[in-house]
Amino acid sequence: MPPKNVGSGKEKLIDDEEEILQAIILADSFNKRFKPLTATKPRCLLPICNAPLLDWTFESLALAGVQEIFVICRSHAELVKAAIRDSKWSKPSSGLKIVPILTAKETFSPGDAMRDIYTRGLITSDFVLVTGDLVSNVRIDEVVRVHRERRKTNKDNIMTMVVKESGANHRTRSRGDSAVFVLDAETSECLHYEGVTGYPPKTHISIPREVLETHSEIDVRNDLIDCSIDVCSVDVPSLFQDNFDWLDLRRDFVRGVLTSDLLMKNIHCYVVNDGYAARVKDTKSYDSVSKDILSRWTFPLVPDDNHPGGHVYEQLRGNKYIAKDNTVILSRTCKIGNNTLIGSSTQVFDGAQVSMSVIGQRCRIGVGSIIRNSYIFDNTTIGSNCVVEHSIIGAGVFIKDKSRIERGCLVADGVALGPEARLGPFERVSKKREPKRDKKAGLDEDEEDEDEDSEWEEVEANQASVTAILGKDSNAIVWPKGSPEEDDEDVDEVETFNNQRLMRIGDDATDLELSDPGSVTSSEEDSESESESDDDFHRRHRRNSSVSSTISLPTPSSEVSLPPLQAAAYREFRHEVNQSIERAFEEGHSVDNAAVELKTLRMASNVPISKVREAVIAGIVERIKLVADDAVGQRKEIAGVINRWGEMIDKIGGVDAVETVCMLQSHCSSSTRMPLFGQILAALYQNDIVEEEHIRAWHSLASSQGDDLKAGTYADNMRKCWAVGTRMIQQFDEQEDSEDSEEGSADADDSEEADSVGDGSQEESEDDENRT
Amino acid sequence: MASDIQNYANQRIVEVLASKLRRRQVVGSRNAAIETTLVLRQVVSKARFSNIDQLVDIIRSVGRRLVEAQPKEHTVGNTVRKVLHHIREEYHTAVEGTAAATKKEDFSISRFVSQGQPRKQNIPVPKSEERTTTLRENDPDDPDSFAKGLKPVLMEAIQDVLDELETVYDNVSKNARDHIHSDEIVLTIGHSKTVEAFLKSAAHYRNYTVIVAESSPSYSGHEMARSLSSSNISTFLVPDSSIYALMSRVNKVILGAHAILANGGMFALTGSLLAASAAHAHSTPVVVCAGQFKLTPLWNLYHEYGALDFSDPSSVLGFEEGDLVDKVDVINPYFDYVRPELVDVYITNDGDHPPSSVYRLIKESYDDDDHEL
Repeated sequence: MPPKNVGSGKEKLIDDEEEILQAIILADSFNKRFKPLTATKPRCLLPICNAPLLDWTFESLALAGVQEIFVICRSHAELVKAAIRDSKWSKPSSGLKIVPILTAKETFSPGDAMRDIYTRGLITSDFVLVTGDLVSNVRIDEVVRVHRERRKTNKDNIMTMVVKESGANHRTRSRGDSAVFVLDAETSECLHYEGVTGYPPKTHISIPREVLETHSEIDVRNDLIDCSIDVCSVDVPSLFQDNFDWLDLRRDFVRGVLTSDLLMKNIHCYVVNDGYAARVKDTKSYDSVSKDILSRWTFPLVPDDNHPGGHVYEQLRGNKYIAKDNTVILSRTCKIGNNTLIGSSTQVFDGAQVSMSVIGQRCRIGVGSIIRNSYIFDNTTIGSNCVVEHSIIGAGVFIKDKSRIERGCLVADGVALGPEARLGPFERVSKKREPKRDKKAGLDEDEEDEDEDSEWEEVEANQASVTAILGKDSNAIVWPKGSPEEDDEDVDEVETFNNQRLMRIGDDATDLELSDPGSVTSSEEDSESESESDDDFHRRHRRNSSVSSTISLPTPSSEVSLPPLQAAAYREFRHEVNQSIERAFEEGHSVDNAAVELKTLRMASNVPISKVREAVIAGIVERIKLVADDAVGQRKEIAGVINRWGEMIDKIGGVDAVETVCMLQSHCSSSTRMPLFGQILAALYQNDIVEEEHIRAWHSLASSQGDDLKAGTYADNMRKCWAVGTRMIQQFDEQEDSEDSEEGSADADDSEEADSVGDGSQEESEDDENRT
Repeated sequence: MASDIQNYANQRIVEVLASKLRRRQVVGSRNAAIETTLVLRQVVSKARFSNIDQLVDIIRSVGRRLVEAQPKEHTVGNTVRKVLHHIREEYHTAVEGTAAATKKEDFSISRFVSQGQPRKQNIPVPKSEERTTTLRENDPDDPDSFAKGLKPVLMEAIQDVLDELETVYDNVSKNARDHIHSDEIVLTIGHSKTVEAFLKSAAHYRNYTVIVAESSPSYSGHEMARSLSSSNISTFLVPDSSIYALMSRVNKVILGAHAILANGGMFALTGSLLAASAAHAHSTPVVVCAGQFKLTPLWNLYHEYGALDFSDPSSVLGFEEGDLVDKVDVINPYFDYVRPELVDVYITNDGDHPPSSVYRLIKESYDDDDHEL
């Protein structure tokens, strides 16, 4: 700052001590979420609570003691420039130096803007980077101080992002475009960043293993509002210059820096505890930020105190704000509800109701009209008996009598509607285009480029299919609504139609299945198991879980009453398990690895453990080759398989030997391996997978005797198996009686006896029948 | 004329303070008053004027700018009025020589009515003898001569205002021992610096107990209790909800004020109305400690809702309670309006006054023309 302020010695001192704090405002939105409201003016000049967004941003920065601001404008740059020139900020006494900078039309993303900043060489020291739609009362100077301190210790700390804790479900937190931050608990260094879209639902994030290895304690946070206030060092624009494909500040820049092995730069987060900061990035956040302002979260930036537009409002009970200059005319019978702001010279006539809304200056609300949750800009007239809900109505709009505007409509500047117009939900209308000739004459219109023209033509072509009733004197055209099918393949995931629905005013999107904003825990769990497993498996696991997640996570229901969806999931699961066991056998995985794989499969599909056990046993039994007419060979084969894989039955989580035997029985009963039952059981016994007591317990179970089964081969086989068990127990008993000189050989004897039992099961079962 | 006299530097410091006030970077009535005085001193020292009206215009326009910036910080306007009052007095002394001395007379109701305005002299000004040249207003030969002659006195007058502000705590508490007796139980709320100084000064002479209500949502009572107990006053910290229950045991309620209004009512920290009403129900005396710079020529006749200065809801309902934020309207006022009948006495740096005579103090401290800046 030049030494103009000789007067105040104190001020001068401060100026000398600190270097000038610079800020860059990206005044262009680089998207079209506010169309058609932004057809004639840029988004940063749209009023929120009757002051242009840009003024709120300036105020936020002035609060932080920023002295020099560069405003990067692209579309409607002349308007932005004029607005800055005419505002109170450009007066010398404001203490701000504001420089508007026009970038080329080819600047299509924040990344391009950053490259432009670099080439212009505007930045000399650490700077604050914000967007032109910020409303904040955060002490950014404090963030800058922390950032500078960090820079002193390590030059690689290039950026500090300001985030605000909001809870997972907050009106101001965008559902369509939020993010999960992984932070170091101590230094709040951002270790991993992953954008979250509301639709398609995101069920997982994957955290790189190195993060878990190098940091003892991390916070995985899915409850932060990204205020998009970044304190950046000089290196940031040059990094953009080096990486010409980076477009977005978060999804490309932050991710790029964090995942790069070469850059070795760090990004930190600053979690704001007191103070408010939010961006107006779509119509939905326009609605919620307006409400936050009216309910005074932004204090002292509230209409009655420090209104950036310089208006003076009086606060009445219930957060009603009425312009204080005595020009507002409210009829005696009108009703003004809570959380409402009414600009100066506005008239509200008899019986009209206004609630949760913002009305601009010089508006007229006709007799008996109802305005709810809506935002009406300056100079707009609403006729009598109209209804406007959850909508944004531009400036100079004339809505004639008995019109009805349903939730989510956007009505652009200068539109006339009605009488008796009907706009369905989420309709967007704007004024018809002037004939070409006139357009050339206007100065501002020259800016409309090819792109814009083609868009208009599209809109005009669409008029045939319009269902809304615009009224006979209307000058409006309706914009196409879009649908999920129209999405181009290459469109950014944030910009898909269904995701955009989450950013529309008045759209509660209850018909969409969304990412659960609070599901931090499940993603943590997954990431841990993922990090243990090997890569190939990791991918499959993810695919699987995303299949199942649409169904999943209610309390595990019992096997008997499987709802149809769950049955399908179970079939799917069965198939997967068989495949993975097969693979394990073929590729000779270690038992541990195979067990981990099965475990995660189970978690992902959310099936009870018994199902896994059943599948595993079945898999192992089927693995055993039938060796015809060779009892010794058969026995060897069984022992080989059980020795190698038997362990897995217990490794899949939870040991229940009795169940194991039951399942072995029922599987053997229904397969060609029936004769092997005794031998397999013996092999299991030998490998300590089942003990004597388990066999006894199984034997005494009613279900294992097959009593309640209908007659048939299955029941017969069950009984036969049981009989084998009986023989085995008899042998145990005998052994105990004859007793116990040589413990060492006992095992071997047992097994041989058991084997012989298995071999002769046919005859034995006859005996058995006789006895019962 | 006044506007072009006001040079760039003046405008700049005024704007700096105005935006600080607007952004609540200067809070607290005494801080605001001191900042205002400093700005006025700068303005006067730089101002160019050739008669008293021009000077008054300059100061008033500065005052208007500051008051508009933050109408709820009443001390800003009060300080401007006080400075204007002093400047006029200095001017009269300088021009009329001994005029001020003759005005120094006892106050009586009959004369008050007939004269409209008792010009009571708060600060003795014995400087008139030192002056050798007589002041000439609107001197065509040397338009600056008036300013040159008057400025030293004006600076002194403003310095007086500043001194008053700086010594206000000592002066309020100099009679503390007359108000607090041994073994009394005193209740206070929040953290008022004036009350803190008052209680500490009384503690030099008396042995008594203080009950501090914690004063949610700011919980400034915690700080107060810590400070009092560190100077060996027996202190209890209680929740706000138990004020009424404890009131029967309390001998005296001592409160601070944000602004004292002309009708004898006051704006004070949230919770003051609760304490004062509870005290009223138990006929416990309510004593308010405040400097005279808080005297405000306002009435709050219409109980203007916004005057209570509502701050953000975050101290009541956290922003992270996302689900609730949409469904609950939180009202979090800074101040309560306490009606005059709930207050028994105001202890100021210039003696003790009942609420009913506040209007008189206001008449003495400010000129009638300045009530609307």
